[in-house]
Amino acid sequence: MAVILLIGLIGVAPPTHVRAYDTPDDGGGSIMVEWHLSQDDAILDGYEIYRSNDGDVYEKVGFIGRNRTRYEDSNTEDGENYFYKVVALKDTLKMYSQASQPVMSSPQWFDLPKLNILIACVIFGGLILYFVYHARKGKELYIRKIAGLQAIDDAVGRATEMGKPILYTTGTGLIGDIATIASLNILGEIAKKCARYDTQLINPHLDPIVYTVAREVVKESYTQVGRPDAFDPDSVYFITDLQFAYAAAVSGIMVREKPATNFLIGWFMAESLILAETGASTGAIQIAGTDRVPQLPFFITACDYTLIGEELYAASAYISKEPLLLGAIKGEDLGKLIIGAALIAGSIIGLLTKLPILNLFK
Amino acid sequence: MKIIDRLTKIDRRIIYLILIVVVALPLIVPSVEKVRVMAPVEKLFNAIENIPEEKALIIDFDYAPQTAPELDPMGFALLRHVFKTRVKLIVISLYVQPLGLAQKALTEVIEEYNSEAQTHEDSIVYGRDYVFLGWVPPPIIPILGMGESITNVYQVDYYGNRTDTLELMRSIKNYNDVGLLISLSGGNPPKWWVQFAQSKFGLPIGAGVTAVSASEFYPYLQSGQFSGLMIGMKGAAEYEEIIERELNIKRERKASEALPSLTYAHLVIIVFIVIGNIGYLIKRRSK
Amino acid sequence: MKKGLPLILVFICGILGIIQYFAPHPVVQDTDNFFRNNLLKILAAFALVLGLGSLLKVHMDKIKRKRENWQYSWVLIIVFIITSIIGLFGGVTGEGPLPTRIGSFSFDNQTIYDNVIVPLGSTMFALLAFFMASAAYRAFRARSTEATLLLASAFIVMLGVLPLGDRISPHLPSFAQWIMDVPNVAGQRGILIGVAFGILATALKIILGIERSWLGGGGE
Repeated sequence: MAVILLIGLIGVAPPTHVRAYDTPDDGGGSIMVEWHLSQDDAILDGYEIYRSNDGDVYEKVGFIGRNRTRYEDSNTEDGENYFYKVVALKDTLKMYSQASQPVMSSPQWFDLPKLNILIACVIFGGLILYFVYHARKGKELYIRKIAGLQAIDDAVGRATEMGKPILYTTGTGLIGDIATIASLNILGEIAKKCARYDTQLINPHLDPIVYTVAREVVKESYTQVGRPDAFDPDSVYFITDLQFAYAAAVSGIMVREKPATNFLIGWFMAESLILAETGASTGAIQIAGTDRVPQLPFFITACDYTLIGEELYAASAYISKEPLLLGAIKGEDLGKLIIGAALIAGSIIGLLTKLPILNLFK
Repeated sequence: MKIIDRLTKIDRRIIYLILIVVVALPLIVPSVEKVRVMAPVEKLFNAIENIPEEKALIIDFDYAPQTAPELDPMGFALLRHVFKTRVKLIVISLYVQPLGLAQKALTEVIEEYNSEAQTHEDSIVYGRDYVFLGWVPPPIIPILGMGESITNVYQVDYYGNRTDTLELMRSIKNYNDVGLLISLSGGNPPKWWVQFAQSKFGLPIGAGVTAVSASEFYPYLQSGQFSGLMIGMKGAAEYEEIIERELNIKRERKASEALPSLTYAHLVIIVFIVIGNIGYLIKRRSK
Repeated sequence: MKKGLPLILVFICGILGIIQYFAPHPVVQDTDNFFRNNLLKILAAFALVLGLGSLLKVHMDKIKRKRENWQYSWVLIIVFIITSIIGLFGGVTGEGPLPTRIGSFSFDNQTIYDNVIVPLGSTMFALLAFFMASAAYRAFRARSTEATLLLASAFIVMLGVLPLGDRISPHLPSFAQWIMDVPNVAGQRGILIGVAFGILATALKIILGIERSWLGGGGE
């Protein structure tokens, strides 16, 4: 009671050292306000933030809890001057701080904290391009055998012998997922084989854009091997854009058409196991591939071959044997070597010392 | 040899049949499976116990029917705890879908208590002991706004009463008067509470989440941003266990009754893997 | 020209996608938003029409030629027409021009969602439990040292999440958690680093026009 009375008589101490500055590395429209806590912080309701264009008339722009020393006003006009005051609030009692210096918000062209990412992109991208350039010069490159990709020829051959179709699904990813694009690249190569052996291809889709691209890819593949007449436009089609409806439809195709080989390559979610297990029950050879780590165990248990992560991206180079594409893989390997070495070095340094240089990586 | 051959090639339909039987049977003939209460659930229990008398608890019901089997038992157990110890309670949702589920949980638990109450003092009274504020879109607005004033964000409650006329809300102005918030959700809301309500206003947060999403939330527990955590059916069963043990609340234990299904399903899978391997190893040795 | 124009478009959009990550300035963000969001939406609308056209054509063809299981195609076409009518004229919760109610049944999107899509989706999702059991039985065999290790860790993790595991030994749940937190995460990170490089390389190859399979093969 005495405390309340005392507060009523002398009020609460205002926050001090109010400082406002343009929020760094942003697209503008935002100012950061900082202050030192009121001495009576412990008993406050919180702090109100007031803003003025002329240093005269202030309006409230925000509120933040006690024991906080920073507020982002993300509703400013770029190029206009603003003054700020911070108010210590206790019930109806308000104590205003001194006004801040005038400040202006502005957009930045470069997000400085991302500089390290840019440097890494340039280094690793440069490495990849360097090896692509070398491959162009005709240097022979070795690439390790990937069981899943070696099996593709057998798988297509088996379907041809049995007179049964091949099912290829790019999964439930959209065109923006790189895994889908990698899958479309592989689809192109497999479509060529289907065209050569005259094997029926079934390619159902979840996303209409992926469907239109896939249709072109398959059509071009048939043309390239000189069999444009063999291309059946109904072999590539759209089903639905609902995940589980798609899973049900593709499972239905597997059970009814009994494809000799199922390719499940691309971006998958929970439908991965539904598709893989249904395919396994029909006795098809299954080659799966995804970069989605949570789905990999399902594919590995239920399919004959699985392209794990990066193998998916290496696949089209591997199948087409095109030197330019193979060059990129060499670049990737060197990149991984550098990262691996950095991880080991970092771990050793981290275990042995407490060098200030480590703060760079925080 | 034929038997061993069979061991390695059991028809999948037999596996499916056995699985559905062991999952369904314990649900038809329920029995409670006892569990050991692990640290995250115990922390959550203690966090509620330690809420000062003048402060309130907010429970954010944020799950849809799909995740209700896991999260509903958590909601029920929490409400039983809160009404037994008479912590002031505010119930909200960030989405419209969970409102019906929250209402159902409140009605059932309050009925349990009020049917046994002798006096008006003993019963759970709306406005005095708890309020149900409903839903204000979009989700981030109430999370931020309640830091300043709860009654400004929710001007009317779920039933259409003006919130500033409710007895309980007169003493609860903003997060400074809230001792803990528990978010029950199958998605992102627990993270939002930490991101916006905790970082800006220092509100203690607890959560109940589905087993699938648990790995996303462990780091929040380790860093101390969560004051406690219930995970999936087992977490709910642990909470049922702790309120029975500590507060002698003996009610229907939905999660504990569902646990045997979970256990037996896992055991069936383990048994089949063992059978398959025995067949496989014998076959390999004989070759 | 047939391939030149797409390659130029891909180059511009790809480079824009990179620049927008590093440049927060509104000029960059707005341009990027226009190219990659607004244009994509328009494209998607056209693609959807093409997609639905292809779906109907495949099934009409099936009916016309009386291919195997052609009767099911009728189901698809009839349901397609009914849902399209409800979707176009029924509104989200029944505010469309259709006579919206017969008894307690309302012809709107919400009804279809609540009564058809949700239960069917849950059913498909629930199948996973059965498929997991049959896949585990078939695949978890101690064929080699690695497979045996995998088998053993699967056992520990499965027992660890159950109350039973706690009763066998109180250390089992923490050991299961350790397997999930340490060896499992280490493996995942290894894969993710490889994936990141794969993505970088694929993106570069496509932006620079080295990989052209998506245009239908590598030829000029």
